[in-house]
Amino acid sequence: MRGTMITKADKVLLSLCIFLSFSSFAYVKGMVPAGSEVRIEVDGKLKYTLPLNADRTLELNGTIGKTTVEIKGGKVRIKEAPCPNKLCIHQGWVESGAVVCLPNKVIVTVTSPSRIKDPDAVSG
Amino acid sequence: MQSADRYRIALLASYALALHGLEAFIPTPIPWLRLGLSNIITVITLFFYGMKPALTVTMIRILLGSLFIGTFLGPGFFLSLSGGLAGTVSMGLAAALFPRLFSPLGISLIGAFFHNIAQLFIAYLLFVRQIQAILVVLPFLIVAGTLTGACNGYAAKYLIQEIRKAKKQVMGERL
Repeated sequence: MRGTMITKADKVLLSLCIFLSFSSFAYVKGMVPAGSEVRIEVDGKLKYTLPLNADRTLELNGTIGKTTVEIKGGKVRIKEAPCPNKLCIHQGWVESGAVVCLPNKVIVTVTSPSRIKDPDAVSG
Repeated sequence: MQSADRYRIALLASYALALHGLEAFIPTPIPWLRLGLSNIITVITLFFYGMKPALTVTMIRILLGSLFIGTFLGPGFFLSLSGGLAGTVSMGLAAALFPRLFSPLGISLIGAFFHNIAQLFIAYLLFVRQIQAILVVLPFLIVAGTLTGACNGYAAKYLIQEIRKAKKQVMGERL
């Protein structure tokens, strides 16, 4: 029959778990570089800084017309643009890096966050 | 397996189910934080009957529990299932590979840890798909797992000792 007295291995395991609890906070903090802020520049000037995790659509007035930027589900894209070749639209959804619309001078970049919101999770 | 054992395992499963249901009413500071009280029963089953009955008890608890609470085949169900299976299997393996190394306390800590890791992995695969989000929750889950795992393990250890005492008494009376 197996013993039920607290063993040395128990104590080692418990200390390990407690150590892991504290160290994981420090470790994870250094490991989260993910972009979660969207910066929108028009004609060289920073117009908006928006969180990537909040869905939003906005219209910007560039040098040749209206550019529509859409943020949805942690990704961003240029939805409509007045430029002739629509390169920015073809680039599609982006979650890091940048989307640039040169003719209209609109630059959308995803940058490192200053803070990450706690995500929602469900478990039972 | 004797029929008396079968009866006892069914009884253990119903205890686990009751604790699982009771737990749903206990408020926690964070919605996804669960105490995992039914894990006490899993550990007890593991110590008296081994891994297979422990898995049976866990499966009965998860399937019936989700049917009663109304989360069957919902997102919470798959998290519950993955966590329950990983926790029970890891505890069973630890007990089988290192028979006398851990008491119920250590076994329960191992179970809590792998329960959380499996849940996070399934949450990533099925729902979140954002590794940052998973990494942010991970430390909180490890802390919660250590706390609940230690408390449940201690409760299981106490109960196993009491059950053995009671068993000895019954045996003594029969002799």
